[in-house]
Amino acid sequence: MSMSKSKKSSLGRQKIPIEKIPKKSHLQVTFSKRRSGLFKKASELCTLCGVEIAIVVFSPADKAFSFGHPEVESLIDRYTARNHPPESSSSGAHHLVEAHRNANVRDLNMQLTQLLSQLEMEKKRGEDLEQERKTRQRQLWWESPVDELGLHELAQLKLSIEDLKNNIHKHATKFMLDSSSSSSSSSPLLGGPNTSLGPLPRYDASSLHPNPHYHLAFPTPYL
Amino acid sequence: MTRKKVKLAFIANDSARKATFKKRKKGLMKKVSELSTLCGIDACAIVYSPYDPQPEVWPSPMGVQRVLSKFRRMPELEQSKKMVNQESFLRQRILKAKDQLKKQRKDNREKEITQLMFQYLSAGKIMHNISMVDLNDLAWLIDQNLKDINRRIEVLTKNNGQSQTQVAAPVVTNVVAKIEDKAQGSSNTHLGQGFDINIDLMHKQNWFMNLMNNGGGGGNETMPFGDVNNHQNGFWPNPFFH
Repeated sequence: MSMSKSKKSSLGRQKIPIEKIPKKSHLQVTFSKRRSGLFKKASELCTLCGVEIAIVVFSPADKAFSFGHPEVESLIDRYTARNHPPESSSSGAHHLVEAHRNANVRDLNMQLTQLLSQLEMEKKRGEDLEQERKTRQRQLWWESPVDELGLHELAQLKLSIEDLKNNIHKHATKFMLDSSSSSSSSSPLLGGPNTSLGPLPRYDASSLHPNPHYHLAFPTPYL
Repeated sequence: MTRKKVKLAFIANDSARKATFKKRKKGLMKKVSELSTLCGIDACAIVYSPYDPQPEVWPSPMGVQRVLSKFRRMPELEQSKKMVNQESFLRQRILKAKDQLKKQRKDNREKEITQLMFQYLSAGKIMHNISMVDLNDLAWLIDQNLKDINRRIEVLTKNNGQSQTQVAAPVVTNVVAKIEDKAQGSSNTHLGQGFDINIDLMHKQNWFMNLMNNGGGGGNETMPFGDVNNHQNGFWPNPFFH
């Protein structure tokens, strides 16, 4: 469990009484999530135990959602006809179709698992970045959300940002001018797709800001 | 409850498979029941297994018949619209996961570039090698931030409720724009552009403070200082200089 200040993205698993949910929006969300979870469980049961399942549910808006393995239609017909032929699927062709289908499902499952773990990683990265920013916010007021800043601070911030913007344009121009001589790629700061025009051999940022006091416009803890 | 990760494949061991089937089938029926009660909706489940010639159903044979009839009464299109099997269900989930991943990556990238922006602000300059891509994103982010800041400034100055300060907002943007133009032009003072910008910053802070304290004047006041170049010798006391 992380430190007390971390913000949870959801409430987690909460115990609720099994009775009709009073709030409509809550009900809708619950239906959505649980329906998906139900289908997932049914799908797993089919794969693990090689059984056939059909589920039909109606949404609060009376839309029909159905899951079936191998297919909803044939299972419903089978049930309705009260005809339960045991393993009519003994023909070779049928087995082949089934095997092919199962292979597909296996691949798709692998793909999904991979995506979900990537998603988990990115979410964690997002939380870490957020945490870092919150930590820095305590000491550096300008990293706080704009809504929390006073008018004086906003004015200051605005000027500094506009200045940075100017520098960026100059930097970019310099880039373009230098592009003719560049061949190798510079190491991108953040590992984005590297289409940079080359390293900055001649560009010295400090030449634009000879005044060492520039950054003192913000009170920093390092002074 | 076992919490071992189960491999999602057909369980070869007969007894293990049967045991899993019993447990999971029971769990499945419970879930359908809960869904039905919690959301006040109609539902049914049918399970065919090799262990029983008769299918196991929820809620009851009658209940199932009722729900299936309701289902069959719907137009064909409505029946099949949300119909899935294992394959299509997985494809759906894959699409959703891809979408979420894309959004999360975009969010994270914005956070990273924001961090970069603050680094540059603190340092007062653009550091190390930065790729063109990052530079572009940074420029975009800066524009976004400026928009937010301007919006917030407007809101705050409006909320002051005094007529004179209501003039302040447009004055701020106009005058700052003028200052910017001047700064761009004065690139050849002997200490370099950085110095000019720095002076401006200092001047602007004091000027802005005066503006707010004095409640502004007419909107047509000339700028409190003329040629920027002539102020090199006249430092205004600035609380942020150490």
